[in-house]
Amino acid sequence: MKKSELLRRMKKSKFFVIGLVIAVFVTLAAFTSPLFVVHDPIQSDLRKRLISPEFLANGINGYILGTDALGQDIFTRLVTGCRISLLIAAAGVLIPALIGTALGAIAGFFGGTIDNVIMRICDIQLSIPTMVLAITVMAIFGNSVPNLLLVLAIVGWTSYTRVVRGSVMGIRNSEFIQASRVLGASNARILITQVLPCVLTPLIILMSQQIGFVILTEANLSFLGMGVPLPNPSLGSMIADGREYIATAPWTVVVPGVTLMIIVLAFNFLGDGVRDILDPKNKD
Amino acid sequence: MQNFMQFMVKRLLSAVIVLFGVSIVAFGLMRLAPGNPAALMLPDNATVEQIAAVEAKMGLNKPLIQQYLIYIGDVLHGNLGTSIFFNRSCGELIFGRLPATGLLTFAAVVVSILVSFPMGIISGIKKGSAIDFFSMVFALLGMSMSQVWLGLLFILFFGVFMGVLPTQGYGSFRNLILPALTLGLPLAALVTRMLRSGMYEVLEEDYITATKARGIGNFKIYTRYALKNALLPTITIIGMQIGQLLAGAIIVEQVFGWPGLGSLTVKAINMRDFPLIQSILLVTASLFVIINILVDIIYVAVDPRMSLN
Repeated sequence: MKKSELLRRMKKSKFFVIGLVIAVFVTLAAFTSPLFVVHDPIQSDLRKRLISPEFLANGINGYILGTDALGQDIFTRLVTGCRISLLIAAAGVLIPALIGTALGAIAGFFGGTIDNVIMRICDIQLSIPTMVLAITVMAIFGNSVPNLLLVLAIVGWTSYTRVVRGSVMGIRNSEFIQASRVLGASNARILITQVLPCVLTPLIILMSQQIGFVILTEANLSFLGMGVPLPNPSLGSMIADGREYIATAPWTVVVPGVTLMIIVLAFNFLGDGVRDILDPKNKD
Repeated sequence: MQNFMQFMVKRLLSAVIVLFGVSIVAFGLMRLAPGNPAALMLPDNATVEQIAAVEAKMGLNKPLIQQYLIYIGDVLHGNLGTSIFFNRSCGELIFGRLPATGLLTFAAVVVSILVSFPMGIISGIKKGSAIDFFSMVFALLGMSMSQVWLGLLFILFFGVFMGVLPTQGYGSFRNLILPALTLGLPLAALVTRMLRSGMYEVLEEDYITATKARGIGNFKIYTRYALKNALLPTITIIGMQIGQLLAGAIIVEQVFGWPGLGSLTVKAINMRDFPLIQSILLVTASLFVIINILVDIIYVAVDPRMSLN
């Protein structure tokens, strides 16, 4: 696809544009936050607990979105939490994508016993509900960011493996692969130079669609106290902390809840948009 | 019929392999846990002799393979081990909690069907209409909502502001409404999307044009000819999602204080009750496998074209 065609399709997909704008805005806000936040995200001050949102009444030094039960500024925790969540989401999509693609390419390309073994492991993995497996692994290895990434890799690789395997099986016996073989290319060389470029499109579509799922999984785990280790803020743990005060201080739950929804919605829009743009069936 | 028997034998065989794998995972994960399982079961000030005694009792001093064989033997005899925290048999605990989770999951599936079928079918037929737009917004929102946030939103709205529905507890139909909605709506979003595109694609097929040419009414075309085909992928998705609903129930049960398998899981995890966690892993996976076999059977029954291998 030519660059101009790609650009034209991007502009045409409303989902892609809306998703991209929100995602870029949130990412920028999260990563530049150290420049503009005035409060400490983990410094509690019990004299200032549960202040309702002041918005900009007291300027940027006030509690724009209120404070939580420990007197911590919610706005500061929000942008800091988003930064942590987005970093985890990025790694939590890339790592399983790498593992899953490698296994899927091997399974689809070689077939036979190795394919059988990999797909049975997939089946085993898929028969254990995601959350049960995730919290079990977190409970065993303990709360930490590397372990969180391990969990996301364990629950995430199967989708990539299945998609990549399917695409590879479709092209395994094509003439251009046979041509490479006749020219004496090794399996590894064929896999990397011939097969991988062909699975790139479904891979990118899947990765873009998985971002929202990864953010939600992380939030759910953090809500249960098994995600981002305390005292670091995370959207999930902020919702969990605010739960007790939902009747008297609803902003403690609403602010992180709405933010989480907007972020995931933006990335889901983006994922749908990417599919519309790259899917070859989509010839408008 | 013989074909069907062959299919079932094959399907059951692969289920056995999967469950065998799950049992290895469940067994292996507990052995990967840092620290000595025997020491974990005893108070902090336990002596070395006490730990050794418990180790011997649990069979931890035997070779790993033998430990696994003992474990799997016990499981096959229906003995899932004893929970450390509750000091009761794991099987008893889990199956005591299953009815509550089963009810919640069932109600969630009912909710999702009631919501998604009309929306998905109508928006598939009338693509580009207002209803279609509304369904798509609903579907995207539903898939982007964390169940934590959706549940708390319901609590805030129906419990705190309007005060019309109970937000915690178990027992009456009114208790069931909010948890079932929370668990069911994200699934409804997914099914709406699938049905919409399924309906749309089927209606483009030649055989539908043929029925139109024969002068068959629209209503009959939609319900009798199109829906049947559009439903097939939906059945698979619902089947696959029931297993995930069991897991989603962990969050929803936690939010609404629902005394099911999910809250038992969280309790077991918080108490580091490893035998109980292990059993929950095994039981949920078995349920998932059984449900999937049932879905396969339904699939073959609805779609005669399905090749049985």
